[in-house]
Amino acid sequence: MRLTQSRYFKAFSEPLIQNNPISMQMLGICSALAVTVQLKTAIVMGLSLTFVLAFSNLTISSMRHVIPRNIRMIVELSVIASLVIIADQVLRAFFYDISKQLSVFVGLIITNCIVMGRAETFALGNPPGLSFLDGLGNGAGYGSVLISVALIREVLGAGKFLGIGIIPESLYRAGYENMGFMQLAPAAFIIIGLLVWLQKSLVKN
Amino acid sequence: MSDNFRSILFAMGTALICSLLLTAASSGLKPYQQENIDVDRKKNILKAIGLVEDSRSYTFDDIKSMYAANITCMQVDSQGQAMQKGDTGGGGLPVYLYTQNGTVAAYVLPINSRGLWGRIHGYLALESDGSTVSGFTVYQHSETPGLGGEIEKNWFQKNFKGKRIIDQSGGFVSVGIAKPAVTVSMTAVEKANYVDGISGATLTGRFLSAGLKEILSEYEPVSIRFRSKGMLTVPQDRQTCEDGQ
Repeated sequence: MRLTQSRYFKAFSEPLIQNNPISMQMLGICSALAVTVQLKTAIVMGLSLTFVLAFSNLTISSMRHVIPRNIRMIVELSVIASLVIIADQVLRAFFYDISKQLSVFVGLIITNCIVMGRAETFALGNPPGLSFLDGLGNGAGYGSVLISVALIREVLGAGKFLGIGIIPESLYRAGYENMGFMQLAPAAFIIIGLLVWLQKSLVKN
Repeated sequence: MSDNFRSILFAMGTALICSLLLTAASSGLKPYQQENIDVDRKKNILKAIGLVEDSRSYTFDDIKSMYAANITCMQVDSQGQAMQKGDTGGGGLPVYLYTQNGTVAAYVLPINSRGLWGRIHGYLALESDGSTVSGFTVYQHSETPGLGGEIEKNWFQKNFKGKRIIDQSGGFVSVGIAKPAVTVSMTAVEKANYVDGISGATLTGRFLSAGLKEILSEYEPVSIRFRSKGMLTVPQDRQTCEDGQ
């Protein structure tokens, strides 16, 4: 069996494009609007969500035979909430500036539908290794959309790439101006909409 | 073993493990977080007096050495008199002094005001004339992002620079947040005491205005001393603040 056809590879690669949590399943849109003004915050947010998702899938999947069915959601939520708080504490300790910019949005990963959704639909029915890869794949799929949106918004809206100015001074003197609209939340809506359109038409063919 | 009992036991086990993990993470990372918060506070004091710009990035050591070179902290009593070392009269108010070539160029008051969802912590810097605001910063708050949370943004804070805490005849009026923008509703005289409000954050503005007024009137004896040029050097024998500066 070739690598690309193994179910492990599929668990990781499907959520990247074909079944992307944001652009195909329309989950986690709220944070995608809020943290994509700058590339830096988008990358950190993508990494935090990937961490939480991979480890919550791993933990819940390894406990899937012992979790009593009637309290499974409560158990899932306490696992997710603990991981989110750990991620938030680590950011506060080592990336204080970014954690201030992300403000409540790291904490709100708890309510991100992707995490709960993957725990319910995938981790409860699959072995830990597969679930871990599924978490990584979904996190990467989420992160990649966030990063594409943030890239467009930061370059067009602020003329910067990772905080470094990339639009040459001469262009500004020639009358070029940053698009202030890109800094506002509606711009993210439009860009995500365009990405979804692009992706759906690509995947169909 | 009944199903319910098993569920309760399992829930308790999960809760115990999660809480142990969280305790370990929180107490293990505390020193790092504390240092971040300390440096961030110092950075905000420096930003309030205009030494730190938003567009540049600074290392921890930059901030610490800049702080040590420019800022001294002392305690004043309720009459605005600098407290002496070992003075335990109580009620000391911390004032951060920015000295340039031995004279005080500005003084910074810690702000701890009520907000809509929690306390707002920041600094308000006043020039040594005792009446002109030289900067305002916020380093901790729990206001709604995008609405009241805009108080931490530069566009809001930069409007404080140059505002006055006294009216034309010299009486104390504090500096407040207007609703709506100052250009719409105010006379030229009033404009000197107000900054533009934030749309969608009326209550945050109202609470912060009240908080600033309360704090500024508490510190008014100090400001009066500055206005009469009575506090232009750092007292040698002064009561230092808690952070040992």
